Amino acid sequence: MKKILCSLLALVLAALPLLAFAEGTDEDFGGVTLNVYNWGEYIDEAVLREFEQRYNCKVNYKYYDSNETLYTKLSGGDDPWDILVPSDYMIERLIKEGALQPLDKSIVNNLDDLTDSVKNLAFDPDNTYSVPYLWQTVCIVYDTTKIDPAVVEEKGWDLFLDPAYKGHAYMYDSSRDAFMIALKALGYSMNTDNEQEIDAAHQWLLQMNSALNPSYVTDEMIDGMAEGLKWFALAYSGDAAYILGENEDMGFCAPKQGTNIAVDSMVIPAKAGNPRLANLFIRFICEYETSLAISSYTGYASPNAKVLETLSGPGGDYEGNDAYLPRAGYDLDEHYVDNVALAAKLSDLWMKVMAAR
Amino acid sequence: MKKNAKHSRSGSPWSFFTSGYLVLVLLFIYLPILYVMVFSFNDSKSMISFSGFSLRWYEALFSSRDMLESIWTTVEVAVIATVVSTVIGTVAAIGLSKARRLIRTIVLEINNLPVLNPDIVTAIGLMLLFLSLKVRRSIVTLTLAHISFCIPYVILSVLPKLRQLDDNVAEAAMDLGATPFKALTRVIIPQIYPAILSGALIAFSMSFDDFVISYFTAGMDVQNISMFVYSMKRFNPAVNALSALIVIVVTVILILANLIPYLKDKKNNKEEQET
Repeated sequence: MKKILCSLLALVLAALPLLAFAEGTDEDFGGVTLNVYNWGEYIDEAVLREFEQRYNCKVNYKYYDSNETLYTKLSGGDDPWDILVPSDYMIERLIKEGALQPLDKSIVNNLDDLTDSVKNLAFDPDNTYSVPYLWQTVCIVYDTTKIDPAVVEEKGWDLFLDPAYKGHAYMYDSSRDAFMIALKALGYSMNTDNEQEIDAAHQWLLQMNSALNPSYVTDEMIDGMAEGLKWFALAYSGDAAYILGENEDMGFCAPKQGTNIAVDSMVIPAKAGNPRLANLFIRFICEYETSLAISSYTGYASPNAKVLETLSGPGGDYEGNDAYLPRAGYDLDEHYVDNVALAAKLSDLWMKVMAAR
Repeated sequence: MKKNAKHSRSGSPWSFFTSGYLVLVLLFIYLPILYVMVFSFNDSKSMISFSGFSLRWYEALFSSRDMLESIWTTVEVAVIATVVSTVIGTVAAIGLSKARRLIRTIVLEINNLPVLNPDIVTAIGLMLLFLSLKVRRSIVTLTLAHISFCIPYVILSVLPKLRQLDDNVAEAAMDLGATPFKALTRVIIPQIYPAILSGALIAFSMSFDDFVISYFTAGMDVQNISMFVYSMKRFNPAVNALSALIVIVVTVILILANLIPYLKDKKNNKEEQET
């Protein structure tokens, strides 16, 4: 009798952890480290602490400042990063080079709520390797007390050629963004490598120089527009959402000629040290609550349709803020395609534009 | 000469001009620091308009584990790099001061190279060295890199002071029975102590705010505060709070460093008078 009881007890004890699993309690990773490499100021840190608690692990969370530095760092060593968050074109390059591993869709099984504009993009048609983290578009932020919204809507990018606003605009000092608006204004694709079209865009930018004489800046633009120091500026929609939140005179326009949709997505490198935990991390980021916290903290758009609805809807953090929710399903909006030679060429031409001031 | 003396008297236009110039220079140096300190208490994210007093960025600073971790890394690396490079640099300088002129000139030229060289060259060079030696980049490689670029500054700061020393003093100490090591620690080092201290301070500040070399030599598990700030997608005013705290700490250290010798002197004088 005693023996039977004992073995019964043993059986129950052995089954306990299994039961715990069945109830959805999470795995214990015994304090291992998950190495995450992301842009700086791009997450609500509380989210990481929650993940650490849930899976009993440590998140080693480090920052990079551009896709190019990320790429250099990756090729410079064999660091076993578990999660990276590059932009669309860089993911394309990493996939081509075989540097990524496919996601484990039995773990990352909560992608149903992904909004259409960021799902199954050209660089990764079935989201085999990547899941969107945050996304945004390039747009115009303008002072509605200085410029009539109807004019902005009507002109779109051509606003940057109007001598009436000379000295009253900010422009990003970035060859990528500058050529994007020039090519879009001329009605071309922003991924063109047609010589004539690129030359026309170059001329367009030179004309912008003399007609508008904008201040070429980077992130100073955010504070400057929030204070209303200039009349209009090229802005990323995530930054625009912040500006509109700070200064209610500011308006937002996604130009009719089309724009760039930029998506930063989570991927797992082929050499990842802990792929299972990495897949769990991606699933965790995709959860409604997590994505809500991240999007609310940063002002960039969540890839989760329900989060977008909550944050832009009544009572949400970005209710009535036109810039938060990027335009979706517009034919002229494009994603970047990876083209190293073209990027180098545009960068050279941009230097000429800057030198011609 | 007489004319000059007259001009430098207070109240004359010339002295007004020189002191005004001095004020301008000081403003130029200290206004940005003051600006950052004031805006560390700003209520909003803006760096242009001050919307009200708050401590929220100090709160943000102390609740961000990532930021605190990178501050800790920075201090750790800076302290180790300072101590090691000060010891190596001082010993090297003492050796050099006794070396033949030709050797000294050659070594000094080599020593000057990394100082004049752009950081990026040193950084890539160190990265390639670690890669080719198959050394995994980590906090150890980061610290080694910092030690290597700090040493030249210590040598440059200590060597001139050594040249002012009277060689006979150390020899006299040994004549009186001191071992060479004792002569070094009891006679030479106390005489060049201020130069060692200033070399160490330069080394510390070079290490503390280095970005380029750190970026290429640190492993994936380390990040110092410069790397942290540089990589921000958008500016976080908690950095202002951090800068303000650093300024206060440095100011306190400088005041203490100047005050302690003064107080010591006073105390000694008093004791002498009493005896």
